Amino acid sequence: MDHTLKAVDDDLDLLSHSVAAMGDLAVAQVRAAVDVLVRHDLTTADKVVRADNAIDIQDAEIEKNAVRFIALRQPVADDLRRPIAAMKIAMQLERCGDLAKNIAKRVPRLDAAPSEAHAGLIAELGRMAAERLAAVVNAYRNDDSQGAYTVWLKDTELDERHEGVVREIVAGMAAKSETAGDSIHLIFIAKNLERIGDHATNIAELVHYQLTGQDLSDRPKL
Amino acid sequence: MTTATGPRLSRRINELVFLAFCWTATVIAILFLTAILWSLLSQGVGGLDLNIFTKSTPAPGSEGGLINAILGSLMMCVVAMIGAVFVGILAGTWLSEYARDSHYGKVIRFLNDVLLSAPSILVGLFVYEILVAPVKGFSGLAGAVALGLLAAPVITRTTEDVLRLQPTALREASVALGAPVWRTILAVIWKSARGGMLTGALLAFARISGETAPLLFTALNNQFLSFDLTKPTANLPVVIFNFALSAYDDWRRLAWAGALLIAATVLTVTVVARILAREPRRS
Amino acid sequence: MNVQVETPQETAVLALPPEIVKLAIKDLNFFYGQKQSLFDVSVSFAANAVTALIGPSGCGKSTLLRTLNRIYSLYPGQKATGQVLLDGEDVLGPRVNVAALRARIGMVFQKPTPFPMSIFDNVAYGVRLYEKLGKADLANRVEDSLRRAALWDEVKDKLRESGLSLSGGQQQRLCVARGIAVKPEVLLLDEPASALDPISTARLEETIAELKRDYTIVIVTHNMGQAARLSDHTGFMYLGKLVEFGETEQLFTNPVTTRARDYITGRFG
Repeated sequence: MDHTLKAVDDDLDLLSHSVAAMGDLAVAQVRAAVDVLVRHDLTTADKVVRADNAIDIQDAEIEKNAVRFIALRQPVADDLRRPIAAMKIAMQLERCGDLAKNIAKRVPRLDAAPSEAHAGLIAELGRMAAERLAAVVNAYRNDDSQGAYTVWLKDTELDERHEGVVREIVAGMAAKSETAGDSIHLIFIAKNLERIGDHATNIAELVHYQLTGQDLSDRPKL
Repeated sequence: MTTATGPRLSRRINELVFLAFCWTATVIAILFLTAILWSLLSQGVGGLDLNIFTKSTPAPGSEGGLINAILGSLMMCVVAMIGAVFVGILAGTWLSEYARDSHYGKVIRFLNDVLLSAPSILVGLFVYEILVAPVKGFSGLAGAVALGLLAAPVITRTTEDVLRLQPTALREASVALGAPVWRTILAVIWKSARGGMLTGALLAFARISGETAPLLFTALNNQFLSFDLTKPTANLPVVIFNFALSAYDDWRRLAWAGALLIAATVLTVTVVARILAREPRRS
Repeated sequence: MNVQVETPQETAVLALPPEIVKLAIKDLNFFYGQKQSLFDVSVSFAANAVTALIGPSGCGKSTLLRTLNRIYSLYPGQKATGQVLLDGEDVLGPRVNVAALRARIGMVFQKPTPFPMSIFDNVAYGVRLYEKLGKADLANRVEDSLRRAALWDEVKDKLRESGLSLSGGQQQRLCVARGIAVKPEVLLLDEPASALDPISTARLEETIAELKRDYTIVIVTHNMGQAARLSDHTGFMYLGKLVEFGETEQLFTNPVTTRARDYITGRFG
């Protein structure tokens, strides 16, 4: 049912759309960062780094609007959970943006383009992370608590893949596929992608909390 | 006045016409009232002198006053009011506090309203039948009873009305502390309605002080000053009735003076009642 | 738009552990003549706590309050069935001394109702009904009540002045002082602040918050913020039924029933 005071619904819709838009931007940043690494595209990498600004600005805007909503509407129950979840999700997305920027920043610091094998591994990891993030942003957009739960359950998949990728890169260090320095960059990049996956899990928990008022950590993982 | 187009102008004209009618009606009413008051004053003032308050009603041609009539009226009104206040306040309280929605209460209220507008001559006739004819003697007491019967419904009505105006929450607040209903009425409701009840009594007094018809059948009249209410008692209205229609000038003068006295009394009492009713309660 | 993971419940009434219950209502039905206005209400109020009753106009919250001290029995057409247990004794029973009951359960109304007498006499009114106190004791009782109602400092020099000479907020606190002077166990407040300005309201709320240490308080309010600020438990009523009752924190952060949620978030349909 809609609120009798239309302005409340309008405020909440604006907040939701802002967070969803920020989510889309973060997903795009992650994909772009992985892409510039794989193709070793230095010019685009710089653009990706600078594009992170937009994410930071959106984060500040969402926080401002959420605080305003709380102060002026004195919300309770699910109306209160929305602005609070919005602020927390925005923070998670902002961290994702930073991690994507960090990946892009490392690209010009590589000694050489990554080897095909390792580029493939990173691309795979990046795809998984971006998909998780996109899925959870969609769950948020559609108030889909089931979708959020699904993302939350698959948390360990990305972690295990990440471990595998790191092992391969470490093995590659011995076989000298890249310089030691580059390998370390690649390990950091893999770590960033794993962290992005963790943030997606956090966002999933927040979406579920916003919709049901309950924490997901009470539930057993598969 | 700014020029206005079609409908606006006709509306203004309608307004002015209506206003003009109201004014005219008011002027006519006030004109008559002023005429009455003026004739009372001009005719009555001439008859006013100290004798009014010192001498009794005279035989035609001799000097006299109205003191016996004034005192007689006063005595009968006071006795009437004592009875009427006692009955009226209790009845009004009962109607408001105990019988507000009951069928019985509705009947009583209706009967009271009928009595309120009963022709006073009928009341006089009734009292004649029960208090004068059986003992074959007119008396001031009978007069007082008749006046009381006229005053009681007024007090009942005004008491009930003013008690009804008291907020329900006030009653409930007292009852919620554990007070029984009778205590609530005595200690809280009556106190709160004090002003209104007094006003009601004063208005009843104003009404009966000028009643003539019932006294014709009950108290009759008395030439002399007497404090014995078991005998016919002098009173202003009947004196005016007799003297005004007579052929004697001094009697007619006294009649006008008496009328002026009654009018002055009623006016004073009504004004006092108004002042009391408007007394500010909250600071 | 909202998605609940479980199927929503129609009603949810929290049962309180019996040792903290002061007033227990069981299967209460109320009739104004032929018209029924309370339907099978069962709920418990905790001792030394504030319970708020909220709900839209006509939901029966004031009616429920008024059954607790049987003030409705002033009016012949009104009838209640069921039980209202004060410390285990049924208040609605046939042999109950209603006047004595009302000395144990006090009430403050929506509009301040000071009696037309001095401030002192106002507060002493209830005390004089049932207790025989000496002059000094009575004066102490009046002062104590006025202090607890946060009114003493403002009226201590004018106790002989009429109660009607006070401002609206002061009058209401006078009514509170009057109510607690008889040392009741339970205080019923029917929208006590609805006629007051924000400052008077805040002072009254502070008084209520302090009074709960010694009294069991039930407050009917249509101001949800007030219920949230003041109460430990809140009951939401709708069309004569108790729809949800629980800890205030629970009701305002995560209500169980959809009706309650809609009401407190302003989705009135």
